[in-house]
Amino acid sequence: MNTLTDRYLAATLRSVPAQRRDEIATELRASIEDMIDDRTGGGADPTVAEREVLTELGNPDELAARYADRRLQLIGPTYYLVWLRLLKLLLSFIPALVGTIVAIVKVAEGSGFGAIGPGIVVALHVAVHIAFWLTVTFAIIERSQTTVDLPGWTVDQLPDAPVHRGIPLADTVASVIMLVLTIAYLPFQHYQSWVRGTDGENIPLLDPALWSFWLPALIVVLAGSAVVEIVKYRIAHWTWTLFGVRALLSLAFAVPLMWLALTDRLLNPALGERLSWLANADNRNVLGATIAVGAAVVVVWDLIDTAVKTRRQTA
Amino acid sequence: MVSEDVLRTHLQELRRGTVVVASLVALRRPDYGYALLQRLSDHGFPVDANTLYPLLRRLEDQGLLTSEWNTEESRPRKFYRTSDEGESMLNRLLDDLAAVQTSITGLIQGVDR
Repeated sequence: MNTLTDRYLAATLRSVPAQRRDEIATELRASIEDMIDDRTGGGADPTVAEREVLTELGNPDELAARYADRRLQLIGPTYYLVWLRLLKLLLSFIPALVGTIVAIVKVAEGSGFGAIGPGIVVALHVAVHIAFWLTVTFAIIERSQTTVDLPGWTVDQLPDAPVHRGIPLADTVASVIMLVLTIAYLPFQHYQSWVRGTDGENIPLLDPALWSFWLPALIVVLAGSAVVEIVKYRIAHWTWTLFGVRALLSLAFAVPLMWLALTDRLLNPALGERLSWLANADNRNVLGATIAVGAAVVVVWDLIDTAVKTRRQTA
Repeated sequence: MVSEDVLRTHLQELRRGTVVVASLVALRRPDYGYALLQRLSDHGFPVDANTLYPLLRRLEDQGLLTSEWNTEESRPRKFYRTSDEGESMLNRLLDDLAAVQTSITGLIQGVDR
């Protein structure tokens, strides 16, 4: 015998606790038969009545969940917010961190720009793993009978209201992108400057000798500037401390740049072989002075501008 | 005009707890699942079969109902009855239901308590 009712009962009982399965089966079968009898008594066709009754009872898995008092959700309201906060926290830095470390290791192994690909792939893998295992953990906590004692919410946890956001997000994003592009350009020009030597090899724009100290130092300063931009966005307004750090970093970038430009150590001497104008020492001095003055103007203008903003926003 | 969906959700919320009260009252006289379902809907408590049957088991687990199998009829039926414990909880629930009604009436008429 394999009627629709039999199949429905089997499907329902599959996921109710075993020790009460028989009892629920007997009772549910009786109830279903009662419901069918009621309809056929009113003149309905028994097969149609059976279909109607089972449709009314609905999805057997749902019914079984009600019998077992089981939750039909992966992570319920009790843990959802904690899960979400942890997920955001972990995803905010771990994949990027691991990806960067992998990329750095690859660079150290001499992969050059080939290091970016594996870094991104590893970061994505890590992100997927974090999301998966965190969700599995919370789903298990949700289903275990033990209640995890979560610290209750208190008013002290309220974040500061962003009453007046002095730092627009677009500005921060633009600044960080500019800084990252500048950092990326420094190694990039070493391999691809579009200036070719006589036998077609690439001539870097900047003196390769600078890689022994100055260019790495400038990269660190630029990276520091990007961090300051992000911190500034989080604080949401200028402070004098922030101004001080920012001024220091600006000078730490501009002063070495100016010094290198003025002492004719910035540009690659090999460029003179291809661009005859640069072979002339006077011309090189004029170019160096122009770069130095340009850098000085930018830094002074930036410092005045930030000082004015800081004064206005701390007043 | 309020949308039908919103109305249905609020009515569902309002009715949810009353099914337990109605069942405990009705089962002062022992009855089996489907007969109880019909009695409730005859008295203006339409309830889905897939809600009522699991609910009866849960109330039994909580000790608010007792049950007994009746095998004398054509098919075996499980008869539920409100237990002493269920009766005392029912009284608390009925008091609260009356208190809600009183409060609402007071609120409508604008009388301070």
